[in-house]
Amino acid sequence: MPTLKIDHEFCTECRMCYVACRELNLNAVYVAAEPLHRIEIDPARCLFPGCTACLPYCPAPGSMVEAETGRSMVPPPPDVHRWSLKGRMR
Amino acid sequence: MHPILEEFLDLWVWPTAPGAGGAKFRRRITEEKCIPGWEGLVQSTVRELESGQGAGEDWKRRLALEGYAAEGVQFSIKQMSAQLMSINLNDQPRWIDVQRMRARQVWDECKHSKLHVDSLSGHGWIKDERELMNDVDANFQPLSAYFGQSMMFTHIHPLARNAQHYFIEAGAYLTICIYDQMVGDLLVRHQHLSQKAEELMHFMEGKYQIDTYCTTPETQNAVEETLEWVLRFFQGKV
Repeated sequence: MPTLKIDHEFCTECRMCYVACRELNLNAVYVAAEPLHRIEIDPARCLFPGCTACLPYCPAPGSMVEAETGRSMVPPPPDVHRWSLKGRMR
Repeated sequence: MHPILEEFLDLWVWPTAPGAGGAKFRRRITEEKCIPGWEGLVQSTVRELESGQGAGEDWKRRLALEGYAAEGVQFSIKQMSAQLMSINLNDQPRWIDVQRMRARQVWDECKHSKLHVDSLSGHGWIKDERELMNDVDANFQPLSAYFGQSMMFTHIHPLARNAQHYFIEAGAYLTICIYDQMVGDLLVRHQHLSQKAEELMHFMEGKYQIDTYCTTPETQNAVEETLEWVLRFFQGKV
């Protein structure tokens, strides 16, 4: 099963993913005490790709990637994140 | 529709979270109100730059002074404080993350004003930021919302300002995208580079809060009324 991780080269530490994950009470996104007190994702708690609720609110392109492939998940690729307002709800 | 706006919609606006209770409302206000406003802003900025103004020193100086007027330290603190104080102590448990987002934004906005100073000093128009304290052009801006009069309204609904985050911050991001493409000046680029990421982040705060929290007629009306008020400026009615 693929997992999600933070790419610190692009993450701005805005913590939108942290807020979105906490609102769902998943708490997979956390601030790691070591080594640099940065946002990380706990693969044991993260439900990706079943849950992609953080992806549509991340404003930093490339900051979340699929760990196994390095593929960027921001902005959310339509084949991974299917929830879009485009062409729906009319 | 301008390609910059089309790309912005596809990449950043339309994606939503599964089951987001406010998403349907966000889609409606986006289609009915925000897109026409954003399109007008994009087209007017493109027209301004296509006329050659972006290459002129007057344009760059005015851009930096207007930016400073909108994001100066005093203005930023007052405006963000008003947003923070729109949440009563009793409501804090519910909106604790909203407060965190807004508290963080104080620094972003104060930093943006320094970037405008960098442009003004780098071009040789000022020697020190303190010179701007007595410059009317650096302390007055006509925007009637967000960094204007509405900063005084601490009593409005805690979520109402998402109209401003969602519409105004997107407009700032789109405008900067156009500068990126059409203005070659390195100092103008410096002025906007980190702003670009942060305006998108502030937009995301509005998008997230509307999607997640604006799920009732009360909260949706608060946002929509504020959006109407914001849009009056862009429609030339204020």
